[in-house]
Amino acid sequence: MPLALRHLLLLPLFLLVLNPSVSANNSTDDAQPVEPVIDVMGKVLDHDYLMILGATIPLPRIFLVDGDWYFYANTQSAIASDEFQRVEGEIVRADGAPVSLDMSITSHLMYVWFGIILALICTIWAARRYKRGVGRNVEPQGTAHNIFEVFFVFIRDDIAKEYISADKYKRYVPYLFSVFMAITFMNLFGLLPWGVSATADLTVTATLAGITFFITQFSGTKDYWRHVFIFPGVHPLIRIILTPVEILGLFTKPFALAIRLFANMLSGKILIVCILGLIFIFTDIFGPLIGVSSSIVWVSLTAALYILKAFIALLQAYIFTMLSAVFIGMAAEEHHHEDHDTNVATATEVTT
Amino acid sequence: MGFLAAGLGAGLIALGAGIGIGLIGKSAVESIARQPEAAGDIRGAMILTAAFIEGVALFAAVVTAILALNITV
Repeated sequence: MPLALRHLLLLPLFLLVLNPSVSANNSTDDAQPVEPVIDVMGKVLDHDYLMILGATIPLPRIFLVDGDWYFYANTQSAIASDEFQRVEGEIVRADGAPVSLDMSITSHLMYVWFGIILALICTIWAARRYKRGVGRNVEPQGTAHNIFEVFFVFIRDDIAKEYISADKYKRYVPYLFSVFMAITFMNLFGLLPWGVSATADLTVTATLAGITFFITQFSGTKDYWRHVFIFPGVHPLIRIILTPVEILGLFTKPFALAIRLFANMLSGKILIVCILGLIFIFTDIFGPLIGVSSSIVWVSLTAALYILKAFIALLQAYIFTMLSAVFIGMAAEEHHHEDHDTNVATATEVTT
Repeated sequence: MGFLAAGLGAGLIALGAGIGIGLIGKSAVESIARQPEAAGDIRGAMILTAAFIEGVALFAAVVTAILALNITV
C-alpha cells in the first residue's frame, strides 16, 4: 500500500516529465531509449546516502537474510564483499536469497533523528532555564525562550486543555509537545538545500500515528470501550451495523492521520521539484535561451511555493498534534450515563 | 478502465472535498463576521472539521491509487 500510494502520487509527474522529452526525441527520429530530464522519484524517495553541503556521505546497511545479520559500512562495501549483489536495483544475497528485513540506516531515518535531536536540545535547554527559575519566578528572557514559551503554552492551553478533560490533560502534554516539536523540525528540514523532510515518508508518519493509536487505546476508559462495542441507548439491531463501523473507526483514525501528513509533505516536495524542473524541460525542448529566460517565472513561483511549504510544515504539525489530542480526549473522557440509561429503559419498554 | 475509473474518482474526490471544505469556510467566515470575539474558537473548530473531511478524501485517494495501479486486493 505505501508503495502503491507513492506510485500514484508520482505517476502524473512522471508523465509530465517524460512526455516533453519523448516528443523532442520523436522529432529528431531518435530511437534510443529516453531518459527523463529530471529525476523526480530520486528527489523524493529514501536513499542509502546523506547529502550535506553537496557532499555525499554513504550510510550503513544492515540486512537480515534467512536469520543471519549482515552489517556493512555502505552499499559499495556490501557489493564489494561478494556476499551481496544488485539485481534490477534491489540488493539480494549472492545466492539469490532476497533480503527478508532491511534495517539499513537511510537518509529519512537520519533526518528523523536530526528532528528528534533538535527537539531534545530545545526542550532540555528550556527545561534547564525553567529549573533555574527563569520563566517561573520572572518572565522568560531572550527571544528563543519567549518563542519556546509561546509554542509550549499554545500546545498546553489551546490543544491539550481544550480537547482533553481538565483532570487528565497534564499527562498528555509531554507527548503532544514532543510530537509537535519533532514533526515541526522534520517538516522544516525539507526547506533546507539538500535537506529531506522525513515526514514525506509513509513509514515515518505511520510510526507517529501508531504511537498516537496505542496511547489512545491505553488511555481508553470504560465509557469509551462501551461506546465502541455496545451503544447505550441504541436499538440492538442497529448495534449490529454500528459496532463493526466503530471498530473499523479505531483504525481509520490513525490511518488518516498518517496519510494526511505524508501526502501533504510529499506533494509540497514534488511540486517544488517539478516546477524547478520545468526550466530543464523547457531547455530540452526549446533550447537554452527560452529555458533560461523562463526561469524567472519558475523561480519566483518556487519562492512563493517555498513560503507556502514553510506554512504547511507548521500547519500540518499543528493538525497532527490537535487530532492526536482529540482522539486521546475522546478516549479518556468519562461521562455519566443517566440520560443514556433512561433511554435504554424507555427503548426496552417500547420494544416489549 | 482502471485508469479511467481512477481519473474520474480523483476528480470526484476533489469535487466532494472542495464542496465540503468550502461550506465549512463559508459558515466559519459568516460566524466570525457575526461574532468576531469568538474567532479563535471558530477557527479551531473549522480546521478540525476540515481535517476530518480531508481524511475521508484521502481514503478515496487510496482507493483510486489501488485502481490506478491494478492491485488486486
